[in-house]
Amino acid sequence: MPTTSLPESLIATLPGGYYTSPETFAAEQEHIFESMWFCAARSSDLGKPGAYRTVTVGRESVLLTRARDNSVRAFFNVCRHRGARLCTQESGEVSRAFQCPYHAWTYDLQGKLVAAPNLTKMPDIDRTAYGLAKVAVTEWLGYVWICLADDPPSFEEQVVGEIVARLGDVGAIERYAVADLAVGRRIVYDVRANWKLIVENFMECYHCATIHPELTDVLPEFANGYAAQYFVGHGAEFGADVKGFTVDGSDGLDRIPTVAEDQDRRYYAITVKPQVFVNLVPDHVIFHRMYPLAVDRTVVECDWLYLKEVVDAGRDLSRSVELFDRVNRQDFAACERCQPAMSSRLYAGGGVLVPSEHHIGAFHDWVHDRLADRLPR
Amino acid sequence: MIPVCRLADLPRGEAYRLETDPPVAVFHTDDGEVLAIDDTCTHQDASLADGWVEGCEVECPLHASKFNLRTGAVDAPPARLPVRTHQVVLEDGVIYLLLSDAPPNLPPCAVARAGGGFA
Ligand code: FES
Ligand code: FES
Ligand SMILES: [Fe+2]
Repeated sequence: MPTTSLPESLIATLPGGYYTSPETFAAEQEHIFESMWFCAARSSDLGKPGAYRTVTVGRESVLLTRARDNSVRAFFNVCRHRGARLCTQESGEVSRAFQCPYHAWTYDLQGKLVAAPNLTKMPDIDRTAYGLAKVAVTEWLGYVWICLADDPPSFEEQVVGEIVARLGDVGAIERYAVADLAVGRRIVYDVRANWKLIVENFMECYHCATIHPELTDVLPEFANGYAAQYFVGHGAEFGADVKGFTVDGSDGLDRIPTVAEDQDRRYYAITVKPQVFVNLVPDHVIFHRMYPLAVDRTVVECDWLYLKEVVDAGRDLSRSVELFDRVNRQDFAACERCQPAMSSRLYAGGGVLVPSEHHIGAFHDWVHDRLADRLPR
Repeated sequence: MIPVCRLADLPRGEAYRLETDPPVAVFHTDDGEVLAIDDTCTHQDASLADGWVEGCEVECPLHASKFNLRTGAVDAPPARLPVRTHQVVLEDGVIYLLLSDAPPNLPPCAVARAGGGFA
């Protein structure tokens, strides 16, 4: 923390070390990513029984799949025999079972141990107890959310509550029918920056007029520097001459029919801590998930979701996708510009937040609370 | 004749493992046939009752060898030797077996080699 007192307009950021210290990152992995609900995949990534994905959550690899009864299952991606990583592919499909490549312990889609060499000679091995270890899982908004905690927090409070706090009520997001939309485009960004720099960037719009010329053309109020997230229930209004949320302000795609009149021609942005950002516009939803992989590396997977009939008809999504793809690249370049300076001697005490960024202070308080007394001294 | 179980207790698509020495696997196929073969795969010690049945073939759960349930023949490697088949008799809704008296083709037993190092 800065030792000098700050002028009233300014409050302190986190110290530079929070963005560079492997110990801090390890504490965040344990007390944030492995303790909270984490959005791991789009439900349609697991399109049918046997389809799977592996994702890194905190320090763990998690195996997601769909069982024969069509329910989504999540397991630690660790063989119960001698610990081999069960699946090494990021995604794929098995016909009926996961088999460890080491000694061939074989698990069905519900995680039960169904076969192993000499297994029938060891009738005392309980096939469920020695099945894959389960991870808590739920589906919401067409996404698979998992929680590695032994005693998961309330999903309602952590996830739904955050959306309600931002939009005023859960009905506001339900009107976008997010679960029923189809993935029109997915782009994965490998960002060389600490995950908190990405959250902070997403929370403020002080940078918008400087680095997002296309976005500011579509949403002129962004030039005043106040993020759409600043006010509860506020959506930034499209410019008068803007037809749709596209890179050149031309027409967008078909409007989601259940979107309310007062949500039309507006852009809403929501941060769901710790790793989800959602943007809502009348004709699509942009859904980002961060996968923090190292103190200075974060993979961001971003889906552009449209009405199913729009995607099925093969409509041209390019101008629609390009607007936020550019915004993402502009933002991530800014985060990558900050990352190397986080270890500068000059930044050891951190930087400052101007008034339109002061709400980021609440994020920093939250990080402090999660890590309280848990950081190595 | 050895009694196995009631037919009603073995739904189609399922298998029953009879703890004889060596054990026998009794399958009720999707087509409604009841067929019995040695339970132990001839490649390594795996239970074929834990395998996957398609038509009148069972796929070993460990390395995907396939055995014909009617003849015991190997339909897909890595197993090379067939399993024995056993005669099934249905009487009053109960499944009975007449065990084959041919010598079984059991896999080399890893347990017997315990203590020996082999990577
Ligand atoms: S470590 Fe997986 S079967 Fe041995
Ligand atoms: S044990 Fe049956 S194929 Fe290897
Ligand atoms: Fe931005």
